[in-house]
Amino acid sequence: MLRRILAVTMRDLRSGMRDAMIPYILIAPLLVAVLFKLFVPGVGSTVINVAMPETAEPAFAEYVERYGEVELLEDRDAIVKRVQAMDDLFGIVPKADGGYELIAAGDELTGTVEMVQSVLSSWQNPDLEPPVELKISDMGWELSPLARFGTNFLVVFMSVFGGMIVMLNLVEEKQYNTMAAINVSAIRRWEYVLGKALPGLILPILHAFAVLVIMGFTEVDYLQVAVVAFAIALISMIIGFVVGVYQSEPIGAVASMKILFLPIMASVFGAIFLPEKWQPVLYWSPFYWAYRSVDDIVLQQAAWSDIWLHNLIIIAITALVFALMHKRIKQGMRA
Amino acid sequence: MIDVRNLSYSYSHNKSYAIRDISFEVGEGEVFALLGPSGAGKSTTQGILTGLLPIQTGEGEVAGFDLRHMSRDLFNSIGVSFEQSNVYGKLTALENLAFYRKLFDVETEDPMELLKMVGLDHVANKRAGDYSKGMKHRLTFARSMINKPKLWFLDEPTTGLDPTIAGQIKDIVLKRKQEGTTILLTTHNMFLADQLSDKVGFIVDGELKLIDTPRNLKLKYGQRLVQVDYYQDGELVSETLSLAEAGEKHRLSEIVAAGNIETMHSREATLEEIFIKVTGRELVYNEAD
Ligand SMILES: Nc1ncnc2c1ncn2[C@@H]1O[C@H](COP(=O)(O)OP(=O)(O)OP(=O)(O)O)[C@@H](O)[C@H]1O
Ligand SMILES: [Mg+2]
Repeated sequence: MLRRILAVTMRDLRSGMRDAMIPYILIAPLLVAVLFKLFVPGVGSTVINVAMPETAEPAFAEYVERYGEVELLEDRDAIVKRVQAMDDLFGIVPKADGGYELIAAGDELTGTVEMVQSVLSSWQNPDLEPPVELKISDMGWELSPLARFGTNFLVVFMSVFGGMIVMLNLVEEKQYNTMAAINVSAIRRWEYVLGKALPGLILPILHAFAVLVIMGFTEVDYLQVAVVAFAIALISMIIGFVVGVYQSEPIGAVASMKILFLPIMASVFGAIFLPEKWQPVLYWSPFYWAYRSVDDIVLQQAAWSDIWLHNLIIIAITALVFALMHKRIKQGMRA
Repeated sequence: MIDVRNLSYSYSHNKSYAIRDISFEVGEGEVFALLGPSGAGKSTTQGILTGLLPIQTGEGEVAGFDLRHMSRDLFNSIGVSFEQSNVYGKLTALENLAFYRKLFDVETEDPMELLKMVGLDHVANKRAGDYSKGMKHRLTFARSMINKPKLWFLDEPTTGLDPTIAGQIKDIVLKRKQEGTTILLTTHNMFLADQLSDKVGFIVDGELKLIDTPRNLKLKYGQRLVQVDYYQDGELVSETLSLAEAGEKHRLSEIVAAGNIETMHSREATLEEIFIKVTGRELVYNEAD
């Protein structure tokens, strides 16, 4: 049983490495990540970004500067405006009573508010220990929005390549008409399907890892990444099957695989740019849920319960797609 | 080994049948040849028997398995050679066979031995995609033997091969037959059918017209043929006439009366002639096949 499954997988790998397309699909995503990495600006080591009025005490500004980047702005209004922009930035405005007003947009990363607060309180109480913790967590938070969203997008997008490999291997069977020979051998249908699917399930996980490593996210929970990548690989793989069993020519097949691009783009960009109340319009998309999981993972604030919930939704949608498509797949595999 | 009753099949699921009401039996160790012109429904019949086409109307049993409840285990004991070769072009011949043998639960043949048998051992490590048509066909044929099938389906095993190689293939089939393999042979090559088969079935337009042994057929339609070559308006004309039919007998006496005969001899009918006589149809050889 296992022997037959692996025979199918190994045959696909061997045959796949003999033309240009599959090796290209294997490395293209990594090249994209490397290129992307080159263009992501300011992956510095800023812990926190703070805006304060030009009138603030220079010594205070200097003190905060030790922990982060300080921008001096004209007045409180300018600061509020700045805080509302997309990146993570806090406003600190000295109050008349000697205290400080902390302005946050509410969408900051978990923990950063506490950081700012501890910086403030250590300034106000010089006797307190300096906020040591801050220094330690320094590493993980070198996050520009572009790096965050771009990386998440790439991780979700990687699943397409797994589906493409599955598809191309099926196209090869159609091209050479070998499905008939498979159908008169003793291999079970499910063994064959699993053998064909295996690269499409494993590859997106490896690709996701590689993207994260290239982008410098070495501290995220890779097990969580694997679990999410696996779930979206499933749906891409099914699409790979649907397309693959009806195409006998690789270029056309790859072109048909583009049907996946639109939902993925829509899901990712929707998740990033749509306001909270509009997000439900994306709930149908497994890629949306995957994106949300990956976003949490990248921010190192993913709870396993959320990951499982999102995955459950992804798998339910996948099951539905499979239920709709399995007749078509089965028919396509007949000959 | 094979027992089918009233098989009909329509590709378009309507009244246009590719085969209609086909019934026959093939006993263990027998070689049964399905003979018929192109488009008669030979491959369709084989497709149903090997589970590649879903059974529509009719009943049947193949190697002990009901066609309506086929199990994958059936495929451990049957081998299928396709009329159109289908091998992985990006793999070598050896790799093709090495992969395929892993798909079975039963003991399999050594791939190199098989390649030797069909004369491909010297190109065993060449990619099948670079093979000629005939070489691919031989590889497809060799692959069908890999699980040492008890029941062997051969769809046009020699079509498109040069005579020497066709002869080798025929010898392999003969040898397997002597070893007790049951064979369903599909062909429009009457010589092959004549030499290999215990029984032949004539199939035309999807209908099985007749089943008998080649010997019986010859006895029945045989010794009554007369081939006569004669001159008509200065040209040599050849006619084969059956003495069994009044019209043709009359025609022969006309030719004899005219007196311009070059040669005249009676001979045994070939299967091909019998086919034409029985079905009223020519077995058209299609060079492209
Ligand atoms: N896949 C298909 N779809 C629709 N019709 C088909 C298909 N395959 C065969 N047919 C039709 O079914 C009939 C029988 O075809 P089949 O291939 O069984 O003939 P055959 O006897 O094997 O011919 P040949 O000697 O050319 O191989 C033909 O009329 C053919 O056009
Ligand atoms: Mg045929």
